[in-house]
Amino acid sequence: MSRPTDMSGWFKAILPWLLLLALLLLPVAGLSANLMRLLFITAVWTTTSLGWNLLGGMAGQVSFGFAVFFGLGAYTTALLMHAGHSPYVGFLGGAAIAMLASFFIGLPAFRLRGPYFVIATIGVTEAVRVIMNNLEITGGASGYRITEDKLFNPMEHYYSAIAAAALAVIVSSLVAGSKFGLALRAIRQDQDAAADLGVNPFISKLWVHAIAAGLTGIAGGIYARRAGFFYPGDVFAFSTGISILLMPVIGGIGTVWGAVLGGVVFGIVEEELVVNFPNLHLLIYGSLLIIIILLEPDGLLGLLRRLVRLFRSKSENSGSGKADEVLWRRSGA
Amino acid sequence: MNALEYLDLLLKALLLAGVYAAMAVGMTVVYGVMKIVNLAHAGFLMLGAYFALEMFQRFHIDPILGAVMALPVFFLFGMAVHWLLVRWLPKSDTPTLASLLLMFGFWLVLQNMGYLFWGNEDQSILTPLTLSSVHLGDVISVPKVNLVVFAAAVFCMIVLQVLFHRSWFGRSMRALIQNPYAAQIVGVDDQRTSRLTFGLGTAFAGFAGALLGMLYSFSPDFGRPFLLRSFVIIVLGGLDSISGVALGAVVLAVLETFSTSIPFPWYHHGWNFFYLPPSYQPVVPFALLVLVLVILPKGLSSLFTRKWKAA
Repeated sequence: MSRPTDMSGWFKAILPWLLLLALLLLPVAGLSANLMRLLFITAVWTTTSLGWNLLGGMAGQVSFGFAVFFGLGAYTTALLMHAGHSPYVGFLGGAAIAMLASFFIGLPAFRLRGPYFVIATIGVTEAVRVIMNNLEITGGASGYRITEDKLFNPMEHYYSAIAAAALAVIVSSLVAGSKFGLALRAIRQDQDAAADLGVNPFISKLWVHAIAAGLTGIAGGIYARRAGFFYPGDVFAFSTGISILLMPVIGGIGTVWGAVLGGVVFGIVEEELVVNFPNLHLLIYGSLLIIIILLEPDGLLGLLRRLVRLFRSKSENSGSGKADEVLWRRSGA
Repeated sequence: MNALEYLDLLLKALLLAGVYAAMAVGMTVVYGVMKIVNLAHAGFLMLGAYFALEMFQRFHIDPILGAVMALPVFFLFGMAVHWLLVRWLPKSDTPTLASLLLMFGFWLVLQNMGYLFWGNEDQSILTPLTLSSVHLGDVISVPKVNLVVFAAAVFCMIVLQVLFHRSWFGRSMRALIQNPYAAQIVGVDDQRTSRLTFGLGTAFAGFAGALLGMLYSFSPDFGRPFLLRSFVIIVLGGLDSISGVALGAVVLAVLETFSTSIPFPWYHHGWNFFYLPPSYQPVVPFALLVLVLVILPKGLSSLFTRKWKAA
């Protein structure tokens, strides 16, 4: 009876795997170095976007402070690699340190609600950047260099970024489908009502913050390893935090695939548009944000859904007619 | 440091507090009436500084006069922004994230405009006042420009206070701050007052930006540190009271000025004193912001009395 929905459900279930397969096979087909870099950076951004979306989209706690985790991931990975550890140990270390930092930030900050929380995260980012600019062991403002004693292998970088993005998608989907995810959505809709129903908003927010920070930390480490050189004004910059926040908002806040879409769009825009119009990128992002907030709060994914619905309602019978048919059949049987 | 040097610092802190108050007051009225956390305030501050610069370089208008001229210009600009963007936001009695992100997007647009028009070099306004100072005794010396800026800021704050208490507009603003529903029942035009308030907030941002431009060098990214300071001040002041803003400004300016000269005692083989290295001074407002938000979310005035709201 409802074959179209079954079809689209089946399609939706298979699509992520097809996407993953395509991404895994693409480099074998031989891509230009530039395209590999684009895909790499898009995967890194998508990972952070998914991380942010867990806290900002699902739990509704908008944070401008994810640059802290990105930067901590980058620095931890670099320091661990400098100490002779494998880069993968470095990524995990970066995630661990970012998670630890998320508790230190979250413990005071989650006592605040809504905009007060947002303002506090801006304050934290700025403070951390100033401190990192002056910290001696990491070279202060002049940055840090990663040296590896083997050849630069774009494949390895690419696959580690894809793995991180896949991990982020899996974690996001697991959280979204779990009781924990339900609790987070309840907190977003009404924190007090959620608390009355037995959800502990403070603890839930702390944990989702930690998961999000961990993913962002891994992304920071992977980014830093490929970049080879980075400095606090880059990884800890306010604008990095903004980028991480913009992606899910552009793509569609609160949904896993919206965050992915946002990451991909942002990656391509950042690498292609910004390179060609370097003095217009703030204008582009600002206008996008204004348009999305005023016209389509569900982002690009919301726009796509609306278009699909429009297309369907034209090609098929109207919804109410279908509902009548269903009712009639049920009562007739 | 001896007592005179501390007095010198205190004087400088108080002069700084005047500009800080003018800078934060625009954000406070917008927050109070519309419950919008105006992140575009930073952009307006930046535009104000460039406005004074352009007036000074093209028409040789004294920057103080330029700052005063910024008031009507930015008032109209703010009303236009409200008409174009802000009025479409859904109404709410608590700040919404949509409003926050919208104003943030507008700030990005303004910043980019700044880069397009003026490039990213640091600019500064140099007048004969900038390099001369008033001496009191051997130790105390105050740059004249700080004195002039302080006087202008305080004068405008007084004008605002009078406007707030003596005019119909001020009364409707205060009514909306206290209770938006009751205010509308007794006939306050919510939309019109919001538009005027946003204009007023923007006017003060432009004015304060011009004053700050006389004291510091600026680039299109100029507003960000001052935006955070404005937050600290209005959070200290309890978010929607003008006298609270003055108090918050003094607290922040004093703490910032003295942060590197307050000894923190600690014990390690006898008493030692730790001074905050000057390079860490920019951390002070941010750390203070987080501390105040967590410890005193209702502002300093909540320490004294609860009925101190709305000026």
